[in-house]
Amino acid sequence: MFSYHDIMDRARSGPYLTEEDWDLTKVVKTTRKLVRKNKLAWNPEEIVTDDPGLADAIFEAGLELAQTIGAYSRTTERIIEFEPGELEEGLKRMPQTLTVGQGKDARTLFARKIMDERPPLVWAGTPGTPIPEELFLPSVTSWMQEPIVDLVTCGSLTHVDGREVRTADPIEIMATRRELQYMHAGLKRVGRPGMGMLAAQSAVSELGDLAAAHPDYLRPCDAHLIPMLNELKVDHRNLARVVNSLEYGMLNASLVCVIVGGLGGDAPGSAVVNVASFILGNLTSRADYQLLHPIHMRHVATTTRATLWVENIVQQAFARNAPCIIVTDVYPKSGALTRELLYETAANAIVITASGGHLEGVGSADGNLPNCTGLEARLMGEVGHAVTRQGMGLAEANALVLKLLAKYEHVFDMPKGNPGARFDQAYNMQTLTPVPEWQTLYDDVKAELRELGLSSL
Amino acid sequence: MSNEQEQLRIIQEVIIDGDDDESPLVVQEALEVGIKAMTILNDGLMVGADEVGQRFESGEYFLPELMLTGRALKAAMNVLTPALKIEQANEGTESKDTGVVVMATVQTDIHDIGKNMVSSMLTASGFKVIDLGVDVPIKTIIAKAKEKNANIIGCSALLTTSMPFIRDLLDLLGVMGERERFKVMVGGASVTPEWTAQIGADGTAPNPIEAVNLAKQLISQQREEA
Repeated sequence: MFSYHDIMDRARSGPYLTEEDWDLTKVVKTTRKLVRKNKLAWNPEEIVTDDPGLADAIFEAGLELAQTIGAYSRTTERIIEFEPGELEEGLKRMPQTLTVGQGKDARTLFARKIMDERPPLVWAGTPGTPIPEELFLPSVTSWMQEPIVDLVTCGSLTHVDGREVRTADPIEIMATRRELQYMHAGLKRVGRPGMGMLAAQSAVSELGDLAAAHPDYLRPCDAHLIPMLNELKVDHRNLARVVNSLEYGMLNASLVCVIVGGLGGDAPGSAVVNVASFILGNLTSRADYQLLHPIHMRHVATTTRATLWVENIVQQAFARNAPCIIVTDVYPKSGALTRELLYETAANAIVITASGGHLEGVGSADGNLPNCTGLEARLMGEVGHAVTRQGMGLAEANALVLKLLAKYEHVFDMPKGNPGARFDQAYNMQTLTPVPEWQTLYDDVKAELRELGLSSL
Repeated sequence: MSNEQEQLRIIQEVIIDGDDDESPLVVQEALEVGIKAMTILNDGLMVGADEVGQRFESGEYFLPELMLTGRALKAAMNVLTPALKIEQANEGTESKDTGVVVMATVQTDIHDIGKNMVSSMLTASGFKVIDLGVDVPIKTIIAKAKEKNANIIGCSALLTTSMPFIRDLLDLLGVMGERERFKVMVGGASVTPEWTAQIGADGTAPNPIEAVNLAKQLISQQREEA
């Protein structure tokens, strides 16, 4: 494996290209050509696919895209090129297991297979969601305390001591450290101090990331995000995050948020771009694991048909061709105290579990509002466990997801979305338990899910 | 179908296909056979661009089609603009540009998909768009808007922790005594109409189509105020 200096050198000295030309002549045109050449198509009625040939074709097209165009440094406007064989060698070296956290609370992630009998790990939280300081500790505690949860994550602080948090401002350092102080406090409170975290979510710039690299904040057994930018781009800020972890040892989550309907076009092209992003991010982000989070161009959520399909096919493509650890986000349109949030969460958890991923979420209300609670994270985990417990097949999973889509898809036509209620309206702030209406909705939907076919829930 | 209609149909198709190699060529051919520049603009290029906008809105087209059309349009305008100016000078008609918009994702934020869509749609609707890219310091945005004599400043931020810089831009325009000179439209995933009003911006829109409508309204307002 080459040194990280090689990536930085190539970002400085690769061929020059304007960003507009990168987007249009490299990403758009090459992806379109590959989609046409391989006749890649999707069926909105088949969200969980049972088509190994299609998964393989998506993988091959993604590999060809990565090999053909490489990655792009937005900072230097240079192409980061790779020699033949380097990307494939990188794929062979992807971790198959990864321990996160420490002591009795540590958990080991593993490369899941399609219809794997082993339950997915449950990584609870709302990465990226803006959270007011007064709600931060109670909300993260609400999912930390759930027995089914294996690992935790969180949103970003919007304020510190009543002051607005700004990116790349000194207050970002305070926000990142404060966030991690709350995370440790929450873990202690629930008696799971060694639980692994994906955190430093308030670190939008390298300032916060650097400030978190200390055992009192983000421990070497925890993870931080290394995002690949849309599409197939990096910048020096993200390279700095990687370098920050090289000696200290934080785990690198290579986050890919392909815009479905964006430069890749419709779902198949977006899946191809996603595969290429994982392959390139594996090296540019020095990935310990892959974090899958397609974003729908209009609806944002991961619970649209197209985004669910992309999650499904990308996971299957890697499970069959280059097994690795994929953790996949659940970001529904709806927020707390709505029935639809529970349907969306269940559908998304079924897709991820059946097609080979671990579960992360729930980023309720598009991950845009503090309208998220531990209850939907519990349901996400319970559904994932039930899918494996009853050995659900791909066709059966698809049928169930279609039934659930029929129950919640109307939320995408709601002009203001379906944001639901804030955490402090959905949970009792003293006992940190769901308010009776939220508990009743959860019980109702769980019963409904059992009747629909998730019998072991 | 007359020769002129056929030529205009070809221009529309080239724009719909987003072919920036062909678009200047077909415009040049149309000029050479004597079609008026204004007719080429209104009945050729703009009809094609409108069609792409509608297909995007209906979900038939995606971002690539929008961006390619914007690029094809730009290439076509390089050929058409000099001819338009001559034509307007000869006919004594006053040139009334749709408007100049300076677009940017504000400092510390690097998210640009939404901003790019709005830039493409504005270009396709005849605005002159100067897109400064991402992570642009607010001083640079204001300086460029002054230099280009822009009508509108369009600012975007996806991150809630970058949104305060949009407010800073409005404050800075105020203390510089330049607030009345520009209309300011804002956008981004967390930007709401309430926040827009609170910071004193002139408007926001939920999607690129609405953003174009907003830009047109703001230009009309500005011309009425003048």
